Amino acid sequence: MLLAAATAPLAVACTTPPPPPPPPDPLSELVKTALSDAALATAAGAPETAAARSEHAARLQAEVDRATPRVPGSSVPPATPTSVAPPPGASREALVPALQAAQKQAGDLVASAQPYRVGLLASVAAGCASLVEALS
Amino acid sequence: MSVDAMQGALRAEHAAVWTYGLVSAFIAVPQQVAEVADGANAHRARRDVTERWLRDAGATPQPPAAAYLAPQPVDSAAAAIAALVSVETDACVAWRGVLERTEDGALRKSALDALTVSAVRATRWRKAAGLTPASIPFPGAGVG
Repeated sequence: MLLAAATAPLAVACTTPPPPPPPPDPLSELVKTALSDAALATAAGAPETAAARSEHAARLQAEVDRATPRVPGSSVPPATPTSVAPPPGASREALVPALQAAQKQAGDLVASAQPYRVGLLASVAAGCASLVEALS
Repeated sequence: MSVDAMQGALRAEHAAVWTYGLVSAFIAVPQQVAEVADGANAHRARRDVTERWLRDAGATPQPPAAAYLAPQPVDSAAAAIAALVSVETDACVAWRGVLERTEDGALRKSALDALTVSAVRATRWRKAAGLTPASIPFPGAGVG
């Protein structure tokens, strides 16, 4: 009894801890930004921007899903983009800085991204710059 | 660095320089005249940088062709703008090709800049041509 109590913590310490959850995919943040921009653009009456940013969100989410390892028997539902409530004060003026920030967010990942991701990231960044030009 | 991809980007830049020179005779709107001059300068600078990257990699930069085929004969302002949309769109594809074939961070940064400025110019000319949508959601990704 005494022995068991003394060795128990040791046994616990020697047990391999469960693997830590994988670090969050940096593209998940880009999905959130794209959905938020799409909501803002819809509220601001900019359908072209809303459509493009929704497409960005969908392609980025598809890449996150592809790259996320599936744990057998895991009950975690597949991440699906959900709609985002439009932020207050939605206007075309608010859209331009949001798109510029999104361009930088995607562009900053380009230098170190995996080769299979770099094209998508670069196109999203250039697409955001194009949307700014389209609004001007 | 992929020499083939860089030669592809250089071909796109040669074609853009040639086309911007060709169309200048057909563009009369003052703002567009200025944008044609800007685009010509930007593509000349990009061509020179691209040639330097190739030489630094020990490759021989491909010379320009004698002429380039526009999507339609350039005989009007509308056809001139269509030709500009075409060369900028092609440049986007070429630069994305460079990005996907290098792990060199500095080259990726330069190629992203080239892709971005061509995408913005493509949008500007698409807008001038009245095309919708004015912007392309995934510049450089090819058709679709």
